Amino acid sequence: MKLSFSDVNGVMVLSPRGKIMGGPDATQMHDQLHEFINQGKKKVVIDLAKVDWMNSTGLGILISGLTTMRNSQGELKLANVTEKIQSLLTITKLITVFDCYDSVEEAVQSFK
Amino acid sequence: MSKIVKTKNQISIPSCLDYLKDVDEFVEERLKKTGLSESELADVAISVTEAVTNAIVHGNKSDEHKQVEITLEIKDPDVVIWVKDQGGGFDPGSVPSPVEKDNVLKKVGRGIFILKSLMDDVDFKFRSEGGTLVKMVKHLKPAKKS
Repeated sequence: MKLSFSDVNGVMVLSPRGKIMGGPDATQMHDQLHEFINQGKKKVVIDLAKVDWMNSTGLGILISGLTTMRNSQGELKLANVTEKIQSLLTITKLITVFDCYDSVEEAVQSFK
Repeated sequence: MSKIVKTKNQISIPSCLDYLKDVDEFVEERLKKTGLSESELADVAISVTEAVTNAIVHGNKSDEHKQVEITLEIKDPDVVIWVKDQGGGFDPGSVPSPVEKDNVLKKVGRGIFILKSLMDDVDFKFRSEGGTLVKMVKHLKPAKKS
């Protein structure tokens, strides 16, 4: 997984690319979210458009991110959830936990 | 020190999650010409990483001196994958359902559930010589006539 981010009107948009399967992937996302919190940036969107697939470790990373942000009075939302990830979120019932949006713009807008 | 060993249909890795990407590359490379759709190939790849993660973490307890062996068999109409560890074995039935209300937000515990959801057949065997052998099957669908 490769990870990049941008600041869109005060909302941090994290854009992972590739496959999220564990190993170094877990700490990379965790460290980036903690850096945002330390900088007082507590509105985060994860843009999943370029993620080929993720396994249960990837889902754990998303849950960890969500709880980390909420524990810091922040919020984490998902954008551009692909069909494959959507089906994993559905079978694991995590679809009920995450706010998902069709685009980054919509996710950013939802914070207002 | 243990290392990666590859043959035509088999890869063996030390018990460290950093090697998951090597397993994934091996599996996707070998299976891309089987007729599996992109979505089915992703299902198999995800499932293999789930089984290998379990073998590394729960089977071999991340002991890098122990290997995890992944074997592929492409036998029309099935793709069969075996994942073998050298650990003490574990009972997959003891894993609580990850979709129960109290478990939905847990960070771990979904691997076997996802594996069983994505593959057509999954079987766990506890070997008398030690270790767990997971057999996973994905049926190849007949090619559509144009």
